[in-house]
This record gives sequence, structure tokens and C-alpha cells, in this order.
Amino acid sequence: MILQVRGISKSFRGLRAVKDASFEMTEGTINALIGPNGAGKTTIFNMIAGVYRPDSGTIVFRGREIHGLRPDQICAAGIGRTFQIVKPFAGLSVLDNVMVGAFLRERTSAGARKVSLEILEKQHLAPKRDLPASSLTLPDRKRLEVARALATRPSLLLLDEVMAGLRPTETDQMVEVFRALNRSEGLTILLIEHVMRAVMALAQHIGVLHHGEVIARGTPQQIVKDPAVLECYLGEETEV
Amino acid sequence: MNRRAAAGLLILAALLVAFPWMTGPYALSVATLILYFAYAGQAWNVMMGFAGQLSLGHSLYVGVGAYVAGGIFFHWGIGPWAGLWVAIVLCTLLGLVIGFLAFRFGISGVYFALLTIAFAEFTRIGFDHIAPLGGPGGLFLKVAQRDTIDLLNFRGPPIMYYYAILALTAGAFIACWKLLHSKVGYYWQAIREDEEAARALGINVFRWKMLAMAISSGMTAIAGVFFAFYYNNLFPEQIFNISRSIEIILGPIIGGVGTLFGPILGAAVLTLLSDGITEAFAAMGLDIPGIKQVFYGVVLLVVVMFLPHGIWPAIARKLRL
Repeated sequence: MILQVRGISKSFRGLRAVKDASFEMTEGTINALIGPNGAGKTTIFNMIAGVYRPDSGTIVFRGREIHGLRPDQICAAGIGRTFQIVKPFAGLSVLDNVMVGAFLRERTSAGARKVSLEILEKQHLAPKRDLPASSLTLPDRKRLEVARALATRPSLLLLDEVMAGLRPTETDQMVEVFRALNRSEGLTILLIEHVMRAVMALAQHIGVLHHGEVIARGTPQQIVKDPAVLECYLGEETEV
Repeated sequence: MNRRAAAGLLILAALLVAFPWMTGPYALSVATLILYFAYAGQAWNVMMGFAGQLSLGHSLYVGVGAYVAGGIFFHWGIGPWAGLWVAIVLCTLLGLVIGFLAFRFGISGVYFALLTIAFAEFTRIGFDHIAPLGGPGGLFLKVAQRDTIDLLNFRGPPIMYYYAILALTAGAFIACWKLLHSKVGYYWQAIREDEEAARALGINVFRWKMLAMAISSGMTAIAGVFFAFYYNNLFPEQIFNISRSIEIILGPIIGGVGTLFGPILGAAVLTLLSDGITEAFAAMGLDIPGIKQVFYGVVLLVVVMFLPHGIWPAIARKLRL
């Protein structure tokens, strides 16, 4: 188990966003958290990433309790993340953006540049490396977000709605990128996603959240047949 | 940096080294002033331009640096080489205290700027009550002679001060170039652009902001030491004044915040033009108090409206540097 989330809860001013949520992830797998808006997906995500501290419960990453650590400590521990609303360093070039991430494991500029160029190549951003990040289109910004997170050399990558706003062909391309990363480097991935096309294509394990609780866990095949899931989230079977 | 930029920089450096032999004493004093502002502006730029933290109280470090080194010289006759280190350490500590108060408790942006003003202001008032340093009446350093170069006591002709500040400015330029192109420079810029994203990439934002504060305040202390030994008179009312802080930051803002050459260019443009304006008005027999401030305001307005990133980025684009 690379990540074990045990009974975490979080309230905001009395409103319980996440209630006693538990799940775990095996090393080298692709996992997804799905659920309707307001189900608590992003809150769970932010607790793993260190933005929020859980009110109760534990999060164990590679045998080490990480709940309550700062975001930078979580990243240093080996968990990379992207932001739902992309946050490029707008004034810096594409390459410099990725280099910021690479400096976590590289001391020298030359080393960081080398690592970053390799990652940009894989993310199809190499030709745009000298452009300011502010000039990129949304799909490219999403790729940059992923490239920057990858540059920190994570063993677990958290993706917050990274497919949102992409066209189907762009989604398929992104899916392919993550599959390749998972296959070639054994990267464990947790994605929070609305785009079911991507979830079904990528995830080996899915957790379904509803009103802050995990109501179902299983393979995509199991999830689409789960009556509780169909009722709360997928609505009608024909939508899948 | 490409080849043409490097060549341009070399030519500029050669011109600056040869400058005292090509001109008279007035031009030399103007050039010294330009370099002083270029150096102090570069120091401020580390905080604002690189790390994105707006300080409006850098006169604090100039003042403390000047008074520490000046006071040691005044009372014990010890030249600035000892006082310099005391000034650097003290100002760095001051910067770290202010930084700790601000960054530990999440004070940023305008509120951080207000905090820096507050510290400069109450230090100004405090120095009015330090009798051994002259209080409001000022501290005057003895000037034994201006003919021979006495490096030990940093006493000598204007040309000595010119070369000293030229060396400082060149050193600061090189140091900032190195910083900007290493890990710390990347981290500062990431923090400047988006703190949350920086954190998510493993950057301990507090720690790197503190480092920017320490380097910037320590560098500015050196400007203060130079100031004390060049002007030889220090008044709390003047040296800690907020208008002094503004003077320091106008150069980089007009030249280009966050660029390496902006502070130098901005200092040159501002000093040359404001001296020119003062001279022109004097030649017409007009003595208008505050004309310099009005002029600063107009220049700032024009730059903000037409070149919001400063003069240097526009020139660099034109020259394709």
C-alpha cells in the first residue's frame, strides 16, 4: 500500500465536507475519486496534499503519517499535485516553470534543465519551452501543470480535474500520457475527475463519494453496476 | 545572456572604469550618485523584483548601516572595514525580525509594505533620542583630508568613492545575476508568481522569503556605510525618511522591476533627468522647492502608463537581447 487513508473527516464552519472517508491505493495503480459536485473530492485531495489538516483520521504514505504536514513537506515526501484551476508561473517561460519543480531533487541549474527538457518532451511541450507560460492555451497549461508536478519526481501523482475543459481528442492524448507514465515508470496516480470518458479509460480502481462519504469502491466494471452509485451519481445507466 | 549583451556589458564596464579621466568633478559626483542608487536599487530588487515582497522601508537599512559604521568611526576612529560587518549583521538581523513577523503571520502585499514603513518610521524617531549618535542634531564624521587615498579609513578624493561604489554596483550586478540563475532565483520567482503553486512544488515559502529579506537588507546596509563615509553627515530625519525609501525604489521601478539591468538604467535616467531639471531651472534663475519630487511623479506616471514593465524590458526587446 503506497497510500492509506483511514477515517478522515473535515468540517468547514460546522458543515461536514468529508465524513469518515477511508481508502487505500496499491503501488503502481491508477485510481480515481468520483462523485457529484460538493461530494468532498477536492477536500480529500487537499487533505492528502497538505492544504487542509484533517479534523480526525490518519493518512499514511509509504508507512509514514503525513496528515498535518505542510504542502511543501508533502511534495518533498514524494506526492506531486496539479491544481484544478491551473496556476502557471505566468511571468516565467515554460521551461523555467518546470525547472522550479525540478530543483526539488536537482541542485544545479544544468541538472534541473536537463530533467525539465526530458519531461517537456514527453508532454509535447518542448517546442514551446521558451514561450512565457501566460501565452499558453488551456490544454497546454494543463500539460504544463502536469510537467511541473512530474519534475518533482513524485511516486504518487494527484491530478485535480486535469481533463476538465479539454476536447475529447485532447483527453485521449492526456490519458495516453498518464498510461505511459504509469507503465514505464510505475507512477501511482490518483485522479479526481468529472470526465467519465477519462476515468473509465484510465482508472483501475474507483472510489465514489457522496455527501462526504465513500459509498462504493471497486473496478470500473463494478462501479457502473453498483445500484447506490447509479442512484446518486450516474443517474441513468445510458449516460455511461 | 547572449553574446551581444555580454559585449555591450563589457563596453559599458570599460566606459565606467575610464569615466573619471574623461570628465570633470561635477560629472563624477553625478555618476557616483547614479551608482549609489543603482546599487541600493539592486538590493531592493532582490526582495521586490525577485521574491515579490514590496518593501517601502529600505531607508531603515541604509540608516542603520550608516549610523553603525559612522558611529564606530566617530567614537573610536575605527574605519568602515570593521563597522561594515557590524552594519551588515545588524541590518540582516533587523530584516529577519521584520520578515519573521510578516511571513510567519501571513502578512503580505500592502500590509507587508506598511509594516516595513512602520519599522523605518519608529527607528527614525528612536534615533532622535540616541544622544551618542547626535540625536536630531546629526552625526558628523571628521574629514581630515581629501587629497590622498586612505583606504583604511575610507578617506580620500571623490575618485576613490566613485570606484568604490562602481565596484559595489558591479559586484551586486554579478551576485544578483548568479542568484537569479540558480535554484534560489527560480524559487523566489516562483513565490513571486504564485505562492500556493510554489508550495505544491516543495518550496518552503517562509524560508526562501526570509533568505530574500536577509540578502536584501544586508546588501542595503553596505549602501548605508558608503553613504555615511561619502556624505559625512547623518540626520535621522533625513536618512530614515520614507522619501529616501521611495528614491531607492524609483530606479528599479522605472528601469524594470525584477530585471538585472533595470535598477542601473532607472537610476541613471532618474538622476540625470532630475539633475538636468534642477540645473535648467537654476539657469533660468528659478528656485522652485520640490520640483524634483514633482518631476519624479511625472516620470513615474509616464512609465507606468506607457511602459508598465519599465524601460529596460522594452529596450531589451528592441535590441533582441
